[in-house]
Amino acid sequence: MVNDLLTSPAGWIHAAIFFGLGACLLMIVLGFVTYAILAERKVLGFMQLRPGPNRVGGRFGLLQTVADVLKLLIKEDTIPKAADKPLFILAPVLAFAPAFMVLAAIPFSNHLKFSDLSIGLLYYIAISGITTVGILMAGWASNNKYSLLGGMRSAAQMISYEIPLVISVVGVIMFSGSLNLTEIVEGQKTVAYMFLSPLGFIVFLISSIAELNRTPFDLPEAESELVAGYHVEYSGFRWAFFMLTEYVYLFAMAALTTVLFLGGWNPVPFLGCIPGIVWFALKFSLIVFFMIWVRGTMPRLRADQLMEFAWKVLLPVALLNIFVSAVVKELFLR
Amino acid sequence: MTGEMIAFFILALTAIAGGVMMINMSNVIHMVVALVFTFLAIAGIYITLSAEFVAAVQVLIYSGAITIIMLFGIMLTRHEGMTEWKLTKMTVLLSGAGIIVFFLIMFFSINHLSLGNPATDLHIDNTKKIGVELYSKYVIPFELTSVLLLVALIGAIVIAKRDDEKEAGK
Repeated sequence: MVNDLLTSPAGWIHAAIFFGLGACLLMIVLGFVTYAILAERKVLGFMQLRPGPNRVGGRFGLLQTVADVLKLLIKEDTIPKAADKPLFILAPVLAFAPAFMVLAAIPFSNHLKFSDLSIGLLYYIAISGITTVGILMAGWASNNKYSLLGGMRSAAQMISYEIPLVISVVGVIMFSGSLNLTEIVEGQKTVAYMFLSPLGFIVFLISSIAELNRTPFDLPEAESELVAGYHVEYSGFRWAFFMLTEYVYLFAMAALTTVLFLGGWNPVPFLGCIPGIVWFALKFSLIVFFMIWVRGTMPRLRADQLMEFAWKVLLPVALLNIFVSAVVKELFLR
Repeated sequence: MTGEMIAFFILALTAIAGGVMMINMSNVIHMVVALVFTFLAIAGIYITLSAEFVAAVQVLIYSGAITIIMLFGIMLTRHEGMTEWKLTKMTVLLSGAGIIVFFLIMFFSINHLSLGNPATDLHIDNTKKIGVELYSKYVIPFELTSVLLLVALIGAIVIAKRDDEKEAGK
């Protein structure tokens, strides 16, 4: 159905349908964010031998996040007197909008996708870069030295880790010969790219965790050691927007990892009877669980170690991955 | 009025508004933000011309990298100073005359411009076409540019290193 929609001529009805579909996706993503936060707290709780949230909404705390969000929404909305007011208001919008925009490029299954961009992968990388501007702006507009430092720290980290992230997918692009995410998934019919370029997969996974500002790379937030980063002056729903950005990026990054390295909606051999969207959901959940698992396992890095790791370890390994991928392609895939 | 026209007008208006705001604002950071909107609108115009690759690169390089460098540069230096306007009659007259001459030149040259028949198949595989052109016809300029970038990178390292040593010597 969506394939027909994408190829037929555009009109007002089309615009309305796509608007409706986009609104549906936003609702699904918000639902995901609600339960991803709960899942994260539950899984972390089990790893640390404690029950996690278990009061609001039954035994499993199913309404805990809903209550938390409600609390944030009815909190007083404060804007510091010395803040740069227009930028202070614009910053959360500029941080969140790209997080949702990147989802447009991701194909969830053969029939469920919102676009068929020939440069899908590049689109994701380019649009997600705008969030950095929003974060830097939030840090500056608060007119507080801690948030300015936090914004700088965050921007430096996101820029540094974007480079190995982009270079590690060059291997995938070489194997599939396309930047179109649908074609990249089609290219993994026989073998997923995580087996063809394991180096690239590892580098991508590490730098995606750093891009998402999650432990062990959560220096932008580091609530237990430093003053919280760029959003230290934010409260209420503006602060909620920054948190939402983080979790929507978790959704997007897990989906992108699934598409690029785990074969998207392609089934595991001999289990082709299960529909593609279920496979996608399974692989996607695996990545999200892995992120939570890492958060429960690893200690936080120091700021200088963080930068050295990106430039002295990940970047050379990512470059090596390009060479190895080229050799593999020449030797085995001709 | 087609959708393409509407999109073009919105994007063009955003681009021009961003440019005008950038010139008229007094706060440097606000200027950079206005510039971001101009860059994004120009990327949108590239998309209406079905040049998606150029659009993505525009967003990646200009809205992402260059803006961040400018913001870092501004934030790491002193930013208390606001620009003060000093307009004399002479500057107003001179710039006004310049604008009129520029407008006349552009107006007449555009009037007599003919671009021939517009290409109709540029949107098919244009990323691939750019790659093929770049690595077959323009290999040497491409390699030269990469050498230039490498030299700039080494230069940056040398400059950063020298500062380090000076501080250590003290």
